[in-house]
Amino acid sequence: MSLWVDKYRPTALGKLDYHKEQANQLKNLVQCGDFPHLLIYGPSGAGKKTRIMCLLRELYGPGVEKLRIEHQSITAPSKKKIEINSIASNYHLEVNASDAGNSDRVVIQELIKTVAQSQQIQSSTQREFKVVLLTEVDRLTKDAQHALRRTMEKYMSTCRLILCCNSTSKVIAPIRSRCLAVRVPLPSTEEVCSVLTSVCRKEGLLLPGELAKRIAEKSGRNLRRALLMCEACRVQQYPFSADQDIPNTDWEVYLKETANAIVSQQSPQRLLEVRARLYELLTHCIPPEIIIKGLVSELLSNCDGHLKAEVAQMAAYYEHRLQLGNKAIYHLEAFVAKFMAVYKKFMEDGLDAMMF
Amino acid sequence: MDEYDEMYGIEEDFEQQFADELEVMAEMDYEPPQQTKVSEFRNKKPQSFEDAISSGDLILKKQGAITLPESAASQQSAVNKRASLLPAALDDGELPEHLLDGDELHSPKSKRRRQDVAKKLQFGMSDDGHDITPPSSPEDYSRSTSNSVQAVPACNLDVSGLGELQASPRRANAATAHVLRRPPASGDYISVTDSSGNRVYLAKKDESTVRAMDSRAMRNSHYSLGLLSVPIEVLMEQVTEKRHRQLVEESQRLTEMLNSHIDEEFGELDGGEPEAEKQAEADEDHDGTASRLWVDRFSPRRYTELLSDDFTNRCLLKWLKLWDTVVFGREKTAKKPKPPPTDNKLSFQQKDQQNPRFKTKIQITEEILEAELDQYQRPKYKVALLSGPPGLGKTTLAHIIAKHAGYNVVEMNASDDRSAELFQKRIDTATQMKSVLGANEKPNCLVIDEIDGAPTAAINVLLATLNRKESRETDAETAGIGALKKKKKKAESVLLRPIICICNDLYVPALRQLRQQAFLLSFPQTQPSRLVQRLAEISRCQDMKVDTGALMALCEKTDNDIRSCINTLQFLHGRGQRQLDQRMVQSMSIGLKDQNKGLFSVWQEIFQLPRIKRKRVGEELFAGMDQGGQASTATHRLQHILHLASSSGEHEKLTQGLYENFLSMKLKDPSLRGVCLALEWLGFSDILNETIMHGQNFSLMRYLPFLPATFHLLFAATTVPRISYPSSQYEALTRTQHTKNVLVAMLAEIHPSIRSRVGVLCLSLDVLGMLLEVICPKLRPVNPQLYSMREKQQLVELVDTMLSYNLTYRQDRSPEGQYMYLLEPNVEEAARFPGPAPPAGSSPTRPSR
Repeated sequence: MSLWVDKYRPTALGKLDYHKEQANQLKNLVQCGDFPHLLIYGPSGAGKKTRIMCLLRELYGPGVEKLRIEHQSITAPSKKKIEINSIASNYHLEVNASDAGNSDRVVIQELIKTVAQSQQIQSSTQREFKVVLLTEVDRLTKDAQHALRRTMEKYMSTCRLILCCNSTSKVIAPIRSRCLAVRVPLPSTEEVCSVLTSVCRKEGLLLPGELAKRIAEKSGRNLRRALLMCEACRVQQYPFSADQDIPNTDWEVYLKETANAIVSQQSPQRLLEVRARLYELLTHCIPPEIIIKGLVSELLSNCDGHLKAEVAQMAAYYEHRLQLGNKAIYHLEAFVAKFMAVYKKFMEDGLDAMMF
Repeated sequence: MDEYDEMYGIEEDFEQQFADELEVMAEMDYEPPQQTKVSEFRNKKPQSFEDAISSGDLILKKQGAITLPESAASQQSAVNKRASLLPAALDDGELPEHLLDGDELHSPKSKRRRQDVAKKLQFGMSDDGHDITPPSSPEDYSRSTSNSVQAVPACNLDVSGLGELQASPRRANAATAHVLRRPPASGDYISVTDSSGNRVYLAKKDESTVRAMDSRAMRNSHYSLGLLSVPIEVLMEQVTEKRHRQLVEESQRLTEMLNSHIDEEFGELDGGEPEAEKQAEADEDHDGTASRLWVDRFSPRRYTELLSDDFTNRCLLKWLKLWDTVVFGREKTAKKPKPPPTDNKLSFQQKDQQNPRFKTKIQITEEILEAELDQYQRPKYKVALLSGPPGLGKTTLAHIIAKHAGYNVVEMNASDDRSAELFQKRIDTATQMKSVLGANEKPNCLVIDEIDGAPTAAINVLLATLNRKESRETDAETAGIGALKKKKKKAESVLLRPIICICNDLYVPALRQLRQQAFLLSFPQTQPSRLVQRLAEISRCQDMKVDTGALMALCEKTDNDIRSCINTLQFLHGRGQRQLDQRMVQSMSIGLKDQNKGLFSVWQEIFQLPRIKRKRVGEELFAGMDQGGQASTATHRLQHILHLASSSGEHEKLTQGLYENFLSMKLKDPSLRGVCLALEWLGFSDILNETIMHGQNFSLMRYLPFLPATFHLLFAATTVPRISYPSSQYEALTRTQHTKNVLVAMLAEIHPSIRSRVGVLCLSLDVLGMLLEVICPKLRPVNPQLYSMREKQQLVELVDTMLSYNLTYRQDRSPEGQYMYLLEPNVEEAARFPGPAPPAGSSPTRPSR
């Protein structure tokens, strides 16, 4: 194994580093035999996937870790061929149905059907159900989610679903009510620090507590990112020093510059420049929600306290419209323009007040 | 005209230049004016050896017929024969009509009765003759033949054996020479054997006139079973009377026409004969066609009547004449010093020839036309592609020229027959077969109209047909070859018929391939003077008083669209207006084409305030009703832009263009309020679009044009806007796709255990940036053997990481000759952003792997 993130990932519920209480509950859930559908949600980098894999191992034993990639092509009723990759073991199947775009409904129905309709032969030695793990459920279309409702009930005897997503707000209520929802929160700063320290110790490195704390804060408690940052630090400079540079991802830097550009000048020309930068971000596969979130947090820290509430409200408004629409750039730019207008007015009013 | 006459005397090569045209005109003049009615008979004149044989056959049979007891039949056949020979020489047209009538009255008697007896007995009572049972097809005919033969077996056989033939239905007589004792020397035939072993041959030739009459009678025969309230004789009498009346009327009209013709000759110098002719025809048409569109009624019938550009006409005609060698087996006529013999008595009507001063582009076209024929004696370009905006007379030109060149026009509309299979079928039918029945024994010329509406698949079918190579060389390339080849196991035959395609937009993507293989002819604008002249004639025909100024205005308004002009005239005429002047034309709201303006002009109109037009005296009254565009008040501007936007139809592009250009306008908007509002509208229209598309709720589309209207009110300025084509959205889309593809390619080979943890999203957000840092450790630039234990360990880990994340280096040579190592797949471009990038050694060379 290569990166530290992959190398030191725990594989059993008992070995998890944090949220041990929750791990215990999951263990009990497996042991009581009545395993429900699960909806596991939480921010990215909190360890959802790790937890799910540990859970599967608890269910089926180490056989789950023998993974293979399956390429499947499914023919939609409209004769359209959909190519989809899934990761499977003998006991479970993992699909990111949102890869199929608008035809995700067909993918979900077909895949679950094929898995669920095959009965286990030796039910005495194995569980009588297989698990279908659907990732990024919040990116599924409404159609696909509604298709999921019936499928979940119909194949309950032979198939369990584990749904994995970042936020439940985009999962329709009927699905939420059919699942046991488990939230995996981000680890605290201390927990991140302790994980980093233990990983470094296993690598035979000495990580100063100061640096670990800085990394944890900079990564936003996203453990995956924290570990990657730590490794990048190691590559840049070893032995560590407490005040060394922590590398940051390019897009965040770029976004920050964009926010600064917005604050420094408000004019149509600047708006044009900002538009180009927004396009640049979008073309690098940065989702518009993340862009707007990053912009807001940067802008909020730059503007006056009186404006903060208004800006936050604006951001919420435009993000909502962004979800309804199709062309993200219009809504992002509308938000920027609105901010510019509000900010400019505020600054001019302030200037006037100073003059008189 | 005078110019031409002079040149005709002097220049010899001019004749070559216009040989085709001259020939066509010669043919035109040769045809009698009534050609539409009686021209079928012309074909009956024995002209060749084969025809002589068959007509000999005919005479033989006639002699046989005389020996028959039913001499009425033979008489009638003689009459028939006479009728068929006479009209060609007749100018009046009255006599043939009478003859035909007589034919109808007398001919069917005996036969009908006989056949009816054969079929059903009760027929005999009600049947008084007068009705004819025409076979509508050869099968039908042969059936009835055998019927009657069986029914009358006792009919005494003549020595020649023709008695039986005469005993077979009347058809044998009326159609003259359709039942033969021996196979006809020319043309197709069907052999029929009766129960006693006698074999007769039915020529498949048919006469449409007889059939047309027959079919009319057929209708009567159905009702002749006593079902009619009025006896059939009465009905027939009425018909005859009516016809007679019509003839009288027509003769009156002809006289009138002649008078008016004379008037015109005196009154108008430039009019010339063709117009008079046309007018005459228009009058001729008038009787049954009061409701017909003027566009059809006044459409040109002659080459000289065409309104389109002379040079274009000539080019197409020349191209079509190039086919003569293969289609008609004629030698190329261009080399002949004199026009073909048929032209002897013609007097030319060169009304509108222009001087043969050609520009370079024209010369190129000429060269194409002079080019050598290919191995099948076909012209180099097998397809002519006419292009031009609607209403210039493209279809008319194609039809007239094909007709004059001796073709039977088969028109197919590419908008109707869209599927490739249907296309193939139609093309094959038109180009490989020829009509056997009916008088149209001319070879086909396929005219494919509106080909720009055809899908690419259909065009490909057409291309395949063009480029078809014959599997086996044959020297006989005549039209009959098709039949020969059928026996050979479905050998695909080459295209031996001309195809004319017509389109409005030459640059439709589907036509790209065809463009290279076609003889391109683009139509220039119709000359307004000629159009006005024609319109004046039409309005004179219809007793409308129109002055030239009004017609000029009309032409201007419709962009010289012939069809639109004539339709507008008819519309006004139909409303009872008999007078038209300039003011009326200008204030009229009809005749305005709902045309598709280019996107750029739409954008320009949105971003530019309309200029206040200089008003001419007398126009103030109509300022409000003016064409739009000049409307000055905001309401009118809004209306105008709304109309413009809704007629343009390309909202997606329109919106994008507005979005990309509005910030570059000169904005007088320090508070950015207008910009915010515009973006708000853009967001709204995006949501609207999404709703429309998602819910298929197209009724909401009517709200889309309000976005351009808002933009107009917000940003319109008096200066001319500089507008660039919106491409950023498309660029962004392709780049996003590219990035995604890179990431997917990277993911595709990653080990499943890692794969299950990283998706595209988390790769681009979290992993990649750091991964690129991780794989660029600071290694000493020395020989790897000198590395310390620790460094070696690091290198091994690095290689391991790269392997597990499916990354390698590809050696790439830069233009300067240096070798670069690039990541493969190149995720660097997916993770790095422009600007002051972190100066880490982003593509370091690796001494060892």
